[in-house]
Amino acid sequence: MSEKLGIMVGTDKHLDYVINLTNAAQAKGKTIEIFFTGFGVHLTQRPEFEQLVGKAKLSVCDVSFRAYGLSGDVPGVGFKDFATQARNAEMMIECDRFIAF
Amino acid sequence: MKKVAVVIKDTKQQYEGLRVSLGALLDNVEIQMFVLNHEIENMDEAYHDNMEFIDEMEGERFSNNSANVEKYGFVHTTLKQAAQRLQAADLVIPF
Amino acid sequence: MKILHLLRSEPDETVEQLIESMTDNEDETTVKPLFKPNMDWSRLVDEIFSHDKVISWW
Repeated sequence: MSEKLGIMVGTDKHLDYVINLTNAAQAKGKTIEIFFTGFGVHLTQRPEFEQLVGKAKLSVCDVSFRAYGLSGDVPGVGFKDFATQARNAEMMIECDRFIAF
Repeated sequence: MKKVAVVIKDTKQQYEGLRVSLGALLDNVEIQMFVLNHEIENMDEAYHDNMEFIDEMEGERFSNNSANVEKYGFVHTTLKQAAQRLQAADLVIPF
Repeated sequence: MKILHLLRSEPDETVEQLIESMTDNEDETTVKPLFKPNMDWSRLVDEIFSHDKVISWW
């Protein structure tokens, strides 16, 4: 089984880091999970966000998303991937490495 | 059980750090939450209730800010002591 | 233990103190500033998985 990298994105400052790291990790055969929470949910509205689709399992904190008045579809994020903090905690427990941006 | 340290320095992230801490506690993660350098800016009902929930769930709260210790019951820590706890944690999540 | 410290931005005094205090003789410590140009992301992935602990500071 491939090594798993968990990325929690809690700020809206480093989408470039998230994309670069995801691309590099995917090229090395890693499994990647990304959870967007707090200010990080704003990144779902950026055009570059689409670059993550198909490369990582993406999920978004539903409470944060609605708290910031966001709505509508997010590329690569299905209905079930609008999740609670439990998803974040699962990443902490299950991933081989966990990084916060 | 995984041991996670949530370290909150950015005042705008104080509530989010608390929320992530609580979410992890509910999922059977051991949590130590550190609020560094600043007093809790907005001790509203939501922060207060969640902070009490952290205590009930046996999470630990530390701060190097004396107002947080005196007013809100955080355990005092120096930066150096905090660093030692971070070294012992499995994961460190800065906010 | 091998610890990898990632710096998302220029470190302030708090970050410098925390990293310094976390560094003892038994640990192997690497500090990687992500904000510097020409970052080798492929190498970073190897480093992330070859270290026991990774902390991405502010």
